[in-house]
Amino acid sequence: MATEPATEYSVERPAVFEEEARREGVEGMGPWRLALRRLRRNKIAIAFGVLFVLVVGACLAAPLWADDVAHTSPIKNHLSDTIVVDGKKTNVVSLDGVPIGPTWQGEFFLGADTNGRDTMVRLLYGGRNSLLIGTVAALITTLLAVLVGILAGYFRGFTDTVVSRSLDVIWAFPAVLLGVALGTALTLSGLNLGPIEISSRSKLIPILIIGFIYIPYMARPIRGQVLSLREKEFVEAARAQGAGPLRIMLSEILPNLSSTVVVFFPLMVANAILLEAALGFLGVGIPPPEPSWGNLIGDGVDHILSGPHLAIVPGVALVITVLALNVFGDGVRDAFDPRATIHLEH
Amino acid sequence: MRRYLWAVAALLLATAALGVSACGDDDDGGGGGGGGGETGGSITVATTGLDNSDPVLFQTTQAVQAFQLAYVPLVTYAHEPGEDGSQVVPGLAEEVPEPTNGGKTYTFKLRDGLVYSDGTPVKASDFENTIKRLLVLGSGWSFFYSPVIEGTEEFQKKGDMKADISGIETNDNAGTIKVTLTEPDTKILFALAEPYAAPTPTAKSPGKKLKNPPPGVGPYILDIVDFNSKYVLKRNPEWSKMNIPGIPKGNFDTIVGAVQDNVTKMTQDVISGNADFMTEDPTGDQLPEVRAKYKDRLLEEVNPPNTYYFFLNVTLPPFDKLEARQAVNYAIDSNALVRVFGGRLAPSCNFLPPDIAGYAQNDCKYGDPSGKPDIAKAKQLVKDSGYEGEKVTVWTNNKDPRPAIADYYRDVLNEIGFEAETKTLDQQVYFEQIGRKSTKAQTGFTDWFQDYPHPGDFIESLLSTRALSSEVTFNQGFVSDKHVDSELDDLRGKDPEATTDQWHELDNYVVNDKAYVVPYGGEKSTSFFSERMDAQNCGAVHPVYKNDWLLFCKKG
Repeated sequence: MATEPATEYSVERPAVFEEEARREGVEGMGPWRLALRRLRRNKIAIAFGVLFVLVVGACLAAPLWADDVAHTSPIKNHLSDTIVVDGKKTNVVSLDGVPIGPTWQGEFFLGADTNGRDTMVRLLYGGRNSLLIGTVAALITTLLAVLVGILAGYFRGFTDTVVSRSLDVIWAFPAVLLGVALGTALTLSGLNLGPIEISSRSKLIPILIIGFIYIPYMARPIRGQVLSLREKEFVEAARAQGAGPLRIMLSEILPNLSSTVVVFFPLMVANAILLEAALGFLGVGIPPPEPSWGNLIGDGVDHILSGPHLAIVPGVALVITVLALNVFGDGVRDAFDPRATIHLEH
Repeated sequence: MRRYLWAVAALLLATAALGVSACGDDDDGGGGGGGGGETGGSITVATTGLDNSDPVLFQTTQAVQAFQLAYVPLVTYAHEPGEDGSQVVPGLAEEVPEPTNGGKTYTFKLRDGLVYSDGTPVKASDFENTIKRLLVLGSGWSFFYSPVIEGTEEFQKKGDMKADISGIETNDNAGTIKVTLTEPDTKILFALAEPYAAPTPTAKSPGKKLKNPPPGVGPYILDIVDFNSKYVLKRNPEWSKMNIPGIPKGNFDTIVGAVQDNVTKMTQDVISGNADFMTEDPTGDQLPEVRAKYKDRLLEEVNPPNTYYFFLNVTLPPFDKLEARQAVNYAIDSNALVRVFGGRLAPSCNFLPPDIAGYAQNDCKYGDPSGKPDIAKAKQLVKDSGYEGEKVTVWTNNKDPRPAIADYYRDVLNEIGFEAETKTLDQQVYFEQIGRKSTKAQTGFTDWFQDYPHPGDFIESLLSTRALSSEVTFNQGFVSDKHVDSELDDLRGKDPEATTDQWHELDNYVVNDKAYVVPYGGEKSTSFFSERMDAQNCGAVHPVYKNDWLLFCKKG
């Protein structure tokens, strides 16, 4: 399961919104309201956005399902237990090690895995973990990408050279390979950097790995935009008024990057969730017994014949979530700039 | 028309050429050689690999299967399937000596003309060098020889390869080796028949761990191409010149060990013929599939006697308390573990496995292993121990189904009142890590397969104070119990068949009285071969090596 390289977007600056507003006959409307108006009209993007919200809602409701419906936890084994299905007493896991399939009732709704754990409960809790890791990692990527992108683009020269070359080094490694290498090292021994100590079992480990890997994918287009913005009249005007670099970066340049960030963020989350799934599938994501969609798929592959639900269900959940985020992200991009130019880099 | 005919002729010729090349070679996976029961060619064994490159330091069954082909000791095990394979027969020595000096002295005479795979002559003193290496390097097997052999304890204290072991006297000119024990011990010949006791050239076998295996005397030479992916056993050209009777030369020129962790892929490789044998058992979906579709090349039989159990480190909380250890014994459900093993586990409450001398069914104080566990009692015992809420790390390795076993065990420990989590290591480093006191492993997965047909191989290797003399010990619970030690001392010189009651009492003591271990059963192993291999006639289990690759053959 490989993740595609993140799509690199080049988004025109928000000043073009005035021109768009004039064309659409809604002069005087700000860029955000205009974008929201366009987004609301994009029924498909809205539908997929709602789908994503439903997935998130279902995953957030995992404790409710686990406690009140399934009456178990995501890590509880039920190897020797039995359950009544269609009036018949059935082993949750047979003596040959074959787990029960979907019962379509409260307990073991989607069946069990080979340790007798409830697949539905693990799916929902796995979704929580995958979404949490993906979202927080994307946030870290965004924060750091904006920071290094602004610094590189504004100061140029030596700063730009150092930052850009560093990003190139990270960029040179395929995301999954780099993730596996870092994951293998850090899931064994944890992270010890001076006063900072992170346990090998902590979710921060995959979060930091994924957040770090995707910095160049976002920092490079941001840097490009900053290079352009710093030459604008309003920046010159700010300089002429005596504003220092920090003030210019925060008050003039950063606000103009906001639409870029808003466009990129959902796509970053999608990529981060996919990479987390890849790492989990390869056994270097969240350590067991905690579930994630990736390690659920990995565990299920070995039992694809006797228990196809074990791999298929989390796989479908992953596809739906990433697809929803990508379609919604496309809608957001279209809303902010219908004439955005897409550059794919490999 | 003429051009058309030429074209048709060329096409027909090309088709015929393709057809001939497709039919010509039936060795699709292993390469080289032909079928039909002839010798020669190559086979591939899919395996989780060697756990060490040094022949005195390996520990696993997967490793012994490879090393025994390249390192023949003074005496060795008969290369016969089934019980006959437990017999000790001459190896590099001319005969299996009878003990003298009240059962304390064994004198070996090396065969004439012995040379290592590099052509170096075998010297009697090389044997003493091997025993020294076992002791200086802290091999897990060192307690088989120290303090059993006179002078080994003193040698271990010095830790200097140049020092002498007084109980081993060698004469290179005469080719004799005299081994004197501190007391009669019926196990010593078994211990000397193990591949780690095989002599290697002293000049190439210093007192430090070797990254590459040294030359040995055996039908094959072991070459580790890449420790994590491949090793090759190729015929030793010196072997056939030496004419050592009773040890087969093997039916293949080359045996390739294809190392990987993925048991699913191994099974697929054997099914497709990319591998000819696998050292692991098919798991998950594949076992039922293999049983149904390939039953003619799958052997399922009682293994070398073995015990699967959870070790409990009695030197660390919480298992330094008897109540905590008893709690775990009450809580374990062997039926649950049968499912994890895909039906291949025979539940048991004994530490000694059936089929070993000295075995008798235990009282099963903690409940019938085929019945339900007593969780309520276990919870109460955890409270009584004062360790309720104690953090516990369950150690395991990544070979299927060990992670699943550990997850079940973690769940049970949490249910009875501990706060448990799992820690998984690679199979190749696992046993070395949990056998070190510095690792501080509280509890975890372990197993033991018979090294030799003697109950001392289980209880002495795994639960005696003697076993703690190794730097890396098999006594992963760090058990040191005076009663166990004194009973073992008493039983050491006696025939186990004649002392069944005493061994039974010891088994009861370590499990029922002291709960030093949590046994849950023995594994029924599988031997799965590719289509071209003759599984039925040449695949039977060996009681010491599990599978003797010297006996493997292709179909006739």
